[in-house]
Amino acid sequence: MMNFEEMRRRAKKEWEALMQMEKPLILVGTATCGRSAGALKVWETLQKELENCGVECNIIEVGCIGLCYLEPLITIIKPSRPGICYGEVNPEKIVELVKGYLINDNPLPHYALGTIGDERIDGIPKLFDIPVFKPQVRRVLANCGFIDPTNINHYLANDGYNGFMKTIKMTPEEIIEEIKRSGLRGRGGAGFPTWRKWQFCLEAKGVGKYLICNADEGDPGAFMNRSLLEGDPHSVLEGMLIAAYAIGAREGYIYCRAEYPLALERLRQAIRQMEECSLLGNNIFGSNFSFHIKIKEGAGAFVCGEETALIASIEGKRGMPRPRPPFPAISGLWGKPTVINNVETLASIALILQKGSDWYAQYGTEQSKGTKTFALAGKVKHTGLIEVPLGISLGQIIYDIGGGVLNDKKFKAVQTGGPSGGCIPSSLSGVPVDYESLKATGSIMGSGGIVVMDEDICMVDFARFFLDFVQKESCGECVPCRLGTKQMLDILEDITKGKGRSGDIDLLTELAEGVKTGSLCGLGQTVPNPVLTTIRYFRDEYEAHIKYKRCPAAACKEIISSPCQHTCPIGTEANTYISLIAEKRFKEAWDIIKKDNPLPSVCARVCHHPCESKCEAGKWADPIAIRTLKRFITDYALEAGIYNSTKKPKIDKEKVAIVGSGPAGLTAGHYLAEKGYDVTIFEALDVPGGAPAVYIPEYRLPKDILNIDIANIKKAGVKIKTNTKIGEDIPFSDLLKNYRAVFIATGTHKSKMLRIPNEDADGVSDALEFLEDVNLKKKVKIGKKVGIIGGGNAAVDAARVAGRIKGCEKVTIIYRRTRVEMPAFKEEIEAAIEEGIEMQFLSAPSGIMTKNGKVTGIKCIKMELGATDNSGRKRPIPIESSEFVIDLDTLIVAIGEEPDLSFLDTGHSLEISRGNTIVVNPETFATNIDGIFAGGDVVTGPNTVVEAMSSGKIVAEMIDKYIRGESLGREYKLTRPSMYVPPVELTEKEMEEARRVEIPHLSMEKKTNNFNEVDLTITEAMAIKEAKRCLRCDLNTEDGKRWLQQKQQAAQGGG
Amino acid sequence: MDKISLTIDGQEIIANNGTTILETALENGIYIPHLCHHPDLEPVGVCRLCMVEIKGRGLTISCKAPVEEGMVARTESNEINKARRMAVELLIVNHHADCLSCAKNTQCKLQEVANYIGIEEKRLQRLRKPTGQFAIDTSNPFFDRDPNRCVLCGICVRTCEEIQGVSAIDFAFRGYGTTVSTFGNKPLLESRCESCGECVVRCPVGALIPKNVQQPSREVKSICPYCGCGCGIYLGVRGSTIVNLRGDPDNPVNRGSLCVKGRFGYEFINHPERLTRPLIKRNGKFVEVAWDEALNFVAKRLADYKGGHFAFIASAKCTNEENYLFQKFTRTVMGTNNIDHCARL
Repeated sequence: MMNFEEMRRRAKKEWEALMQMEKPLILVGTATCGRSAGALKVWETLQKELENCGVECNIIEVGCIGLCYLEPLITIIKPSRPGICYGEVNPEKIVELVKGYLINDNPLPHYALGTIGDERIDGIPKLFDIPVFKPQVRRVLANCGFIDPTNINHYLANDGYNGFMKTIKMTPEEIIEEIKRSGLRGRGGAGFPTWRKWQFCLEAKGVGKYLICNADEGDPGAFMNRSLLEGDPHSVLEGMLIAAYAIGAREGYIYCRAEYPLALERLRQAIRQMEECSLLGNNIFGSNFSFHIKIKEGAGAFVCGEETALIASIEGKRGMPRPRPPFPAISGLWGKPTVINNVETLASIALILQKGSDWYAQYGTEQSKGTKTFALAGKVKHTGLIEVPLGISLGQIIYDIGGGVLNDKKFKAVQTGGPSGGCIPSSLSGVPVDYESLKATGSIMGSGGIVVMDEDICMVDFARFFLDFVQKESCGECVPCRLGTKQMLDILEDITKGKGRSGDIDLLTELAEGVKTGSLCGLGQTVPNPVLTTIRYFRDEYEAHIKYKRCPAAACKEIISSPCQHTCPIGTEANTYISLIAEKRFKEAWDIIKKDNPLPSVCARVCHHPCESKCEAGKWADPIAIRTLKRFITDYALEAGIYNSTKKPKIDKEKVAIVGSGPAGLTAGHYLAEKGYDVTIFEALDVPGGAPAVYIPEYRLPKDILNIDIANIKKAGVKIKTNTKIGEDIPFSDLLKNYRAVFIATGTHKSKMLRIPNEDADGVSDALEFLEDVNLKKKVKIGKKVGIIGGGNAAVDAARVAGRIKGCEKVTIIYRRTRVEMPAFKEEIEAAIEEGIEMQFLSAPSGIMTKNGKVTGIKCIKMELGATDNSGRKRPIPIESSEFVIDLDTLIVAIGEEPDLSFLDTGHSLEISRGNTIVVNPETFATNIDGIFAGGDVVTGPNTVVEAMSSGKIVAEMIDKYIRGESLGREYKLTRPSMYVPPVELTEKEMEEARRVEIPHLSMEKKTNNFNEVDLTITEAMAIKEAKRCLRCDLNTEDGKRWLQQKQQAAQGGG
Repeated sequence: MDKISLTIDGQEIIANNGTTILETALENGIYIPHLCHHPDLEPVGVCRLCMVEIKGRGLTISCKAPVEEGMVARTESNEINKARRMAVELLIVNHHADCLSCAKNTQCKLQEVANYIGIEEKRLQRLRKPTGQFAIDTSNPFFDRDPNRCVLCGICVRTCEEIQGVSAIDFAFRGYGTTVSTFGNKPLLESRCESCGECVVRCPVGALIPKNVQQPSREVKSICPYCGCGCGIYLGVRGSTIVNLRGDPDNPVNRGSLCVKGRFGYEFINHPERLTRPLIKRNGKFVEVAWDEALNFVAKRLADYKGGHFAFIASAKCTNEENYLFQKFTRTVMGTNNIDHCARL
């Protein structure tokens, strides 16, 4: 028998020979993640290509380095060159790499992710310096992706089994002391100190103790253990040897899911090699220590991760937990003292014994030492396996390592710890990842699953999903878990279907608490966590579902029917008019649009189309161009001469006054007049229309278009008195004397100030003033170099308007964050960049430079993005002494607007917020004064056209109720279309060609120095093609399906 | 056995070391609601109803908690009530609670628990009722199994395993779909169930119910007539008809247990074809006669076959004493050793 030293020498020799060979060495990641991305095909191509080209190479299979989103991965190590890791390798890239790098020595840096080791290659960063690796500390995973897991010599050459060899010269007490000093806590999730578990078992009376490695990883989205077993199985096995020796076990089990065939194969192979090397068996290396390992394949029951259920399963019984105490350390497998440790715990033990407890405890927090592996999954850019020091913040994991949320959607919440974990909201992303801090949020560390959720995930639906999972996975033994989870699931299903009852949230909480305290095992005691945490942090979403029949994430289909209809603030049935367009029924489509929208042509141009943001088609490809289709129909209606209303108004009811003729006032006026009220809108300016008339530039919304919509509203019987300033021409208090009800919809017309020196200099103006002057064709004076401060819509509008004015040469937007954080509409930002507007990001103004009272430039300070704030955006932090100056002759400030309430009488009693907005009941828009309502931007602060219209629409209904003496209150219903339209069949060709319609624009030349409308209308063929892309969510509800079925039955019956 | 002292609900109690809080409490007349506990079986702690609060430890289930010296336990508190109320509400909502038509009515443990904890209709109405229904297994000739009334306490499963050693039934499926099932989820009759009925007598609710159940008006203590074991039984009598039968728990032979024949095979007693009077065949037809005449007739005929012509086969249905008398008669009166017993054949 070879002794250990001899064995290690041979192993080192083999390893060094491999590393220093004259032939290049290629490492191919063939763990399960690599295989599912096509690593075996890459492997095959590589071998063929090398053969074809006559290049001799050593190729070895390695585990996963964790970059799942870049699989398949290969690393090429050429003699006397650092290794280079390449990602997203496919057979074509392999061909290029063989020719490029192996034959011609061009490392193809554009394919490379990074180099390994200290040496550098030009144009390629160090692998562990790239953002995804930088905050990581790879210890447990150090070998994964770099050694051949099927070769014990690779492990031996990298200090493998050194820890065990040290152990057999120590007493069990000394080993336990070493583990105690390391501070290691169980990595399975509960975080129980490992040493203490061992101590109990060591002290327990009885012979024939057992050690079990728990590899029953079953959390959805978790794959840490699988990766480790596939990439470095010996590290876990070494940990088992150490643990067995310390507790006095002669037999060990690995309980691994049968769904992990590769991990099982690697384990079996590794155990065989250990036996061959006398690392397993009787009297290992002549010591008194004997140990044998058996593998038990689990059938995939989630509950078998619970230690007592796992033991029952090994014993051949149904996997059901039993109450503890007695704990397994006292009475476990076959009634014998048993220690059950998680895969990662065992791998950590091997490291602690190899390198010492001090080394291990370098990282981590006071209570949570060392590093932890996590499986990062969900809506995050860099999914994969990571290892971080405990104490790192969740935000760092998600933003720095994870690269932020997919498609730059908003980060909403993160789930840690699998179905037993909770959901932590984005506002808590500063929480450090350690056992106690996560517990304080209501979640748990768990075994290491991290699932990132974006704004499109409904938190109620999320809770329902996990309840559905655990309800099916509950062993069914104890009453609270078996029946309590089912009850909770039923309630959550009701809520997500809009059938929630008042009191359900409290009932859910009560049930969740009951299941937590009453259940027999760890599964039942933790599975209510997703429900409890979502209620704790997202109670408003539950209430929206139950009370308002709304799903804010537009995910619960029985509530929302179609996301486009559900998200439209005025309830436009986009789904209906789109399906009518697909059937070429344009006239009906127009009727549908008109029904809910008194400003259709305005909205067809400037609506920020929340409908498109949640469009189902957008989840797979691009959302339907809904606003473009609306534009097509409004243009069609104008052309066909059916646009203008022909209905004669019948005004026979009380008088109502509206202050402000913006979208809110016009909409309220329209619907009130339709009901017969005598409506007068007072407008201070000489043109009606509010913000669309004075702030929205003509190239987005031509004035004659706006006037067509206003004319229609007038035709409905609404009187608009322009040039009438309330507060000056008519005292506000007089309104209630002459009118039964008053609606204040005055918008936000006051620009916020920068509050920096020289803001009053010549050449400095605010965006509203500037846009109004341009829109009302007043004389505007701007210079050649215009600077705009701000990142909202007013800033981008001002920039694009300035750029159109003759003589202006350069427009720069100065914004303190980055493009991703800009609140302006995306398409406006894109258009601005296309038109040559410059963007100076991460810069905050600190002073205005002047000469002779005239602005000459702006002093800015450079910013960098710091920690994520509660809005989910990274907070900009000034960089010290980084000031710089941008030369300007015109400065436009666009950092926000607020209402101008000077029209109110002095001493008025209207309740005003600290932000200078009018306070209303959010459901009825009634102010604190009887008979006075307020809506639009004057209530919400700067907002969108369609949101303002929505308040106008509701106020019309409320004023009607108010005048009729009914109690103010709204009825909330599930979103449903007013009619169903048969679905269209697409030919295969149509399916292949289905792409979002490209909106025709004015060419660059045609939009220079003028205010011509930029977006053009699409053709009939384009519209029908686009409409056919609609996925018809409305037919996917129970109602929709029923309609479809009836229709099919009728067709069969008739045919 | 060691004695220890502890306090339950302020009452000082001397208990046997090694017993549980639940057992001790019940012995001392302190009721703790429970469903899955049965004195004959190992405790499993799955119904979660027997919660008590132990000073310094918090809530725990009493059926698995051994008594300890100086322990102070409470069986009533808001916390306890909250936990067990929810469990019992969930059980009732998921139970076919048509109590009046249930054979177990008034003897049902779920009723007992619910009465003790107290149920409010208003609270029940907040909960969602199940929509599906399980089929009732009526395959067994002696009893029916109605999973809709089952509370999954597992007493039947443990009885079959621990007492009978048969393990004909076990839990199957997961979560809410968990049921007690035979191997392969076949009807009981096709399983290895021996129909001993031990589970039926232990079922705390109406999930396992003997067929054609009738409540007796009185009970008569007796001995099972089937074999020589002499199991003690109680015959449930209604009028002059035996309507049920149960094992005598105090009988040292069977301590309440019975086999399928003893428990369910009593219908022959009321069978119209059962012989209740002696018959003698005359002219090819059986004719009822008086006992004296019949005995005389037998004695006269037996006298013709003394010695080797005669053999005697004893019955397992007879008691030892009866069998002893018969063999004595055979040897001394009939003069032969040709004696055998049906149990040997």
